This record gives sequence, structure tokens and C-alpha cells, in this order.
Amino acid sequence: MALLAIGLTGLQPNLLLGAMAIGLGALTALKLWEARSLAEHRIVSLLLLVGAGLQASMRPDLGPSLLQAATIVLALAGLLALELGEGLGWQVLLRRSAQVLAAALPLALVLFLLVPRLSPFSALPSQRGSAATVGLSDSLEPGSISELVGNASPAARVTFPGGQPPAADRRYWRVLVHDRFDGVRWTGSTAPPAGANDPRAISEAAPPTAAASQLWLNEASGLAAVPWSGRGRPLSRELLADGGGELLHRGPSDQRRVYAIADDDSVNLWQRQPPGPGDLGLPRGQNPRLEALAASWAALPAPAQRLEAAHRWFRSQNFSYSARPGTLPQRAPLDAFLFERRQGFCGHYASSFTALMRAAGVPARVVSGYRGGSWVQPIGGNGYLDLRQSDAHAWSEVWLPAEGWRQVDPSLWIANGGPGPAEGRARAGATEWLQQQWWGLDIGWTRLWLGYDRQSQEALLRRLLGDHRQWLGALVLLALGLCLTAALALLSWLQRRSPGDGPRRALETALRQLARAGMAPEPGETLPAFAQRVEQRWPQLAPELRRFVALYQQHRYGPPPRPGRAGRQLKRSRRQLSRRLQRLPP
Amino acid sequence: MEFGEPQLGERLRLGLRNLYIVPTRFGWFWLTGLLLLQVVGIQLQSNGPLLLSFLMLGLFLLALHLTHFNLQGVELASGDPQPGHAGSPLAYPLQLHCPGRCEGLRLRFGREPLGPVLALAAGEHRLNVPWTPSRRGLQRPGILRLQTTAPLGLFICWSRWEPTAPQLVYPARRAGPVRILHQSRAGDNGAPPLQDHQEGSDEWRDLLPHRPEDGSSRLAWKLVAQGRGRYAKRFSDPSDRTPLLAPDPALPLERALEHLSERICRLQAQGESYGLVLGAERIPAGHGLAQRQRTLAALARCPAEPTQP
Repeated sequence: MALLAIGLTGLQPNLLLGAMAIGLGALTALKLWEARSLAEHRIVSLLLLVGAGLQASMRPDLGPSLLQAATIVLALAGLLALELGEGLGWQVLLRRSAQVLAAALPLALVLFLLVPRLSPFSALPSQRGSAATVGLSDSLEPGSISELVGNASPAARVTFPGGQPPAADRRYWRVLVHDRFDGVRWTGSTAPPAGANDPRAISEAAPPTAAASQLWLNEASGLAAVPWSGRGRPLSRELLADGGGELLHRGPSDQRRVYAIADDDSVNLWQRQPPGPGDLGLPRGQNPRLEALAASWAALPAPAQRLEAAHRWFRSQNFSYSARPGTLPQRAPLDAFLFERRQGFCGHYASSFTALMRAAGVPARVVSGYRGGSWVQPIGGNGYLDLRQSDAHAWSEVWLPAEGWRQVDPSLWIANGGPGPAEGRARAGATEWLQQQWWGLDIGWTRLWLGYDRQSQEALLRRLLGDHRQWLGALVLLALGLCLTAALALLSWLQRRSPGDGPRRALETALRQLARAGMAPEPGETLPAFAQRVEQRWPQLAPELRRFVALYQQHRYGPPPRPGRAGRQLKRSRRQLSRRLQRLPP
Repeated sequence: MEFGEPQLGERLRLGLRNLYIVPTRFGWFWLTGLLLLQVVGIQLQSNGPLLLSFLMLGLFLLALHLTHFNLQGVELASGDPQPGHAGSPLAYPLQLHCPGRCEGLRLRFGREPLGPVLALAAGEHRLNVPWTPSRRGLQRPGILRLQTTAPLGLFICWSRWEPTAPQLVYPARRAGPVRILHQSRAGDNGAPPLQDHQEGSDEWRDLLPHRPEDGSSRLAWKLVAQGRGRYAKRFSDPSDRTPLLAPDPALPLERALEHLSERICRLQAQGESYGLVLGAERIPAGHGLAQRQRTLAALARCPAEPTQP
């Protein structure tokens, strides 16, 4: 019950399934409190199992999965205790529980792997949490920020097919697209994702297998948009790539989200989506010097030339990176930054560059997300890229008719370039190292666990049966029969070799050996009397025999021996007796 | 679940022909929980609930066999039933041979409550199953029900067997008047008993037709009330005599036998000698356990009172 309660922490009661799981947990606790009869206690065990299953649907990562597995083992041990009578120790019950689970697991795996999965009965409602979380904001107003505070809390982790990350200059992970500008603040125009038939979905059909894919674990952010490289095709059905290049997730945004993206270098459709009138929007007259500079570039015929002019201009000015630029004035803030202070962080550069491009007649927008990340290679498992909130970054995108939306990072044009990927992060201490190893296991588990979806199952069935899908039913039945037989044989074998009455077994073995030598106890004869008779016949057996009888009687009738030690002594004594018996003259 | 043809005979080997197995109510709840997890797994396309629901299905299939294996191959035979009194629990001995470990076994006769949960190792076992006979005589305890729900309580597997070996049941012990005929100590040696009464005792031992000079204090009022005539009680002091017990003719036979049963047990516990006269059957006076068993057995086997036409 305690494990179930721990597993409930972190679930959101405002979501249907979270509310169900929490309600079921409360119901289980109440039932356990009032349960008196066998039937009621059985129901408690069943509620624990169902509760663990509901948690598994919401918390599939490694830690919660281990907790859920422990809950299942304990619930089964409880059921066994109810059925096998009292008096069995917890160790025995847990061992039996694990044995029964191990026997049933192959059956479950056969069904899990081979029984074709049904499609969902209805479209999932959009689940958007309201809790505030650390991370990116859906609006960008660099002028109001006087100082950037370093925040090394985890943002996301991602693994790549082939186990290698992309080159450092390609590690841009886009999250939000800010295409509206009111002169001070950049905001986005993207609405939360609707159901499965959201008209904004522009991604092509997912490839049939998730094998060659990026696997993302995104910590709770409070945003529907999740990070991605902007390339590749979303594989998880909760994902939706919209025309602006945001990847929207239908899952609850205040919980960790896990998703897969097919690693694909082809140009995505969002990059070809032509700009709208809003991508040129700029409140005129608010930053006159900026507009005057842009007007000088606007005479250039091609957008690429205007972009190049802006590049040259930024390079020629004495800009520098600063995490403490101070706030900008409310009146002409971008003018103040571009022509007076010339100190700022990525948001200042992205914001002012995008405004310049718009003023020069080039559609542009600000994109915020993460840049870089540190590559972690855990001792066991695949490496992964660790993104922290301190890797948050903002850059721009400009529309060039010949190639679509081009990513431009004006922060790279300044003299000191700002903090590079994962720079400024403290060296990993022992705690952080342990955390990285755990995350390595977590991401390995998640890849394995979530990697098996409908597409993977389809691929597996195709590999197993080819075009003979009509044999699937027979294959499932055959595999079930084999697994059932093996499970029953395994349980029977485990039961035969269960410890039972060790001293009694040692005694029976010794008696069998003596009977083979021609000495068997008479009906009603006590062990000491029989030993005395054996001694009379074979006096040379006396020391070993006496010791064995004394140990047996001490074990059987004496005070409780220290577990294990007395049994080992008796077994050793029995072996000595056997050896001496074998050395008897024929 | 009370269906299933009860097997008759001295011995019974449990197998596919005489074992029955169905899901318990909890088993049906289990399937409902499994179905719920399937729905959640399909709706959310989530592996966790799907695997757990399949695991529960695997456990269900496994439990079907494990529960059946608990009883399959078990051989039952009646032991040697020892006599006991009607109206109190009697132990009916059973011999069980278990080919493997037999877990969660519970037994009961008829509508008796189920016995405790037993876990029997492979091998021979002797069990005593309680039952409460309501009548005296050679009685059979009825239908024995063996059942198990181990290991998970998802299925109940049972068999019904009616052992044929009867158990001798003495009349129930009920304190009350008995008729006492006295026998001289010489009677123990086979001499004809003396019908000698010592007046003035509190213990009455015979009835004679009432005479006016007997007065009303000796009148057997109960018989008068029952319309069976006027009889006078004859009292005697049994201190120097060995009592010969007989049923009180004023009582229905079964009730009189119950009184005798109690009196015999009491006399035996006090270490006294006694004999028994039961219609034509006469058990000479004696004492000790053998005498007790002899007399109680005679009571148990006493022919029933013929019913009135």
C-alpha cells in the first residue's frame, strides 16, 4: 500500500486518469482498513494490482516502473499468504510470489508481443496542465530581464540512433516559435493541440518501425511544445508538428513526456510553409534608429543580401555577451540595445535581429529552445545528450524564398559569442555522476519499453510470419501452450527443491545408506537405540554416528539453532558418516 | 458450489473425472480488473497496463492448472472410525496419499463449517475431519467435500466423496432418570440376579401397580398424566449393590437411551461398576473402559421403538 501511495505522488488529480489512480489508491487504503474477511483482503490485492497498472500508464520511466513491479510482487505475496494459510514467513512468500511471476511472465510476453494491438477507442482529449514549472516561457521580453540566473535543473534527455550525437553546431533544439511582436514582447500564435484530427498536423505518415529514432525524455515544462531538432518525423501518436515548426505534445505538460522522432535529415514541411503577414509585423515608429538602419538594407534586391548586410553590420559593431545586461528602457528598447548598450544575451540578439529583418522587409521570427547540451556516456547503456535549463537559447529564422525558413543565430556573430554548449556548468560531482548513470539506465529502459509499439509489433509479425498472417492465431496458441507447460514444469521443479525439512532429509539419506549396508531400523525403534545397534555391528562408525545423532537431536529437540549454521553442521556430519560407511570392509 | 456427483466407495483417487474447477467470485473480479487494464492500455497505447493485463491473464491460466494440481492424484481412504456420542463433534479419520505438495486444502462433511487450511507435503497423511451426528447407531458422516483455492484464490477446485465406512454413534449424553435394577454381587459371577430392593432410598428402580396403601407420594405422576395407568415407584438403596441400568419405561426410548448414555459415562468416570439390561440383551455388571464401550455400543445398536400405527 505504501509503494502504491509513493507511486501516486506526482500524478495530477485534475486529469481523468490521474484522478482515477488517486481515487483507486484511496479506495484501496479504505478497503484495507476495513477488510476483515478473506474475500475482502483478496479485493485489496486486486485493487493494488489495478492501481499499479494505472500508474504504469502514466509513469513509464525506470524509477516508477521499479516501484510498480515491487507493488505487484507484494500484492501477489499477499494473495499467496491468504491462500496458503498463516505461518509462512515473508521471505518464503516473496520467493513464491517471484516464482509465480517468473512462471507467468513468458505467457504474458507471448501475448504482449504477438496479440495484435487495437487502435484507441476514441481520440485522446488534449491534456494540458496548469501548473507552473521551471523552463522556457511562451513569451520573450529580453528588455525586462536585468540578469540571467543560472538554472542547471534538467530539461530533457535524448538518445540518437547509432549512439552518437549530432555535431556541436547542429545542436539546436527548437521548442517555441515567437512570431508576434508588439515592440517589446515576442509571443507565439500556436494554440494547444486538439484531437487526433487537428488540421495543423503536417507530418507525413510515420515509418513502419521506431528502431532508427531519437528518444526524448522531456521534463515537465508547462508547455504543450516539446523540444526537437526540427528534422525527422514524429513517431509517437501524441505528437503533432505544426506549420510553424513547433512539435506539440497532447500529453499532460506538467508531467514528464516521452516521445520518439524518426531520425531523418530530409527537409520538413514546416520549413516550406510560406510566411504569413504576421511574420513581417513590426510596430512602426517605436525604434526609429533600428528602422532607419533596416531601411538602408531594404534597398538590396534579395532577402539573402539583406541578411548578409545584417551579418556584416553585427560583426562590425562592438557587441558583447552579458548575462547581466540590465533592463532596457520602455521607450525604443531595441534602439537602446543596438546603438547604445550593445551588451546582452541571446534573447536580445535574436529579438533585435528579427526586428531588423522585418523592418528590412524579410519575414522573420524568434525561436526559443535549447542549444548544445552535454553528452553523457554512462557505464552501462547508450550515451545520451543531457539538456539543462541553463542550455535555454533563442535564435531567429528568416524566410528566404529559395530555401524556406533559414535558422540564423545572431549570438554567434558577436565577439565573445556567449556561453558555448554546456559551458559554465559545474563539473559533475559524485551526486551528479550517479544521477547521470541513473538517467542512462532510465533512458535505456525507456527506449526498450516504449520502443515496442504498434509499428514495432507489425514489423515483428512480418519478420516472423511474412505473408502467412493467417497462422498468427495458431502461433499464439502454440507459444502459449509451450510457455504454460514450461511454467508448470518450472514451478514443479522449484517446489521439489524447496528447502523443506532439511534435518529430516539428512536423516533419511543416512538411513537409506545404512539400509543399503544392511542395517535398517526396526518398527518402533528410536534413533539412539538404532544407532547403538549399528555401533555394535560396526564399532568403527561410532564417532561419526554419535556426532550425527547428537546433532540431529539437538537440531530437532534443542533450543532454536542459528539459522543455516546448524543445518550445515548436520549436513557435514552426514557426509562424514557416509564417507566412513563407504570405507567399511565388505 | 455444491454440484458434482459424489463418489462412493472405500477409496477414491482424485482425477479429471471427479474433480471440478470453476473461477471463484474473486476470479471474476480479477478478469474484470484485467479487462479494465486492457482498455486503459489500448486507449492510451501504453505498454505498462497492457503487459500487466497480460500478466494477470497468464497468472489466471497458470492458477487454473496449479489449483487443479493441488488435488489431482490425491488418494483418499477411510481410516478406522472410533465411536462417539451423537450431538457432539466426532472425528472421522481419513488417510490421504498426496503425490505432490497439496496446498490450501480444506475439508468438511455435509454442512459443517470448513476446516482450517492445510498444506500437505507429498506422502501419506492421516486427518480427522469433524462431523456431528444427530442420531445414534452405525452412521455414515455423509458427503465429504475437499476443496482448494490455492495458490491465488482465482479458482476453486473440489471433489465430493461419500465414504462408506460407518462410524458407531452412541446416544447423546443427557442427564435424566434411568431405571435401576439391582443385582447382587453374586450376579457378577453369573448367578441369577436378585430382585431385592431396599426401601427408603432416594433412588427408585422399579414400578409396581399402585396400591391405596402406597400413598400418593409414591405414585408415578408422569405415567398417570400420560394415561398409562397408576404405578407406584419402588425405592431402594444401591450402596451395597451393583446397579443394572435399564431405560426408563416412562420416557420415549431415544430419550431413555440418552439418559442411560450419560449415566454410564458418569459411573465410568466415578469408577463404579454397573450392568445394563436392554430388552432381551443383558450385559453383566462390570467397570472400566471396556464395560463402558460395551454398554454404550449396546445402546447405540438398540433397535428403535416401533412406530405407532
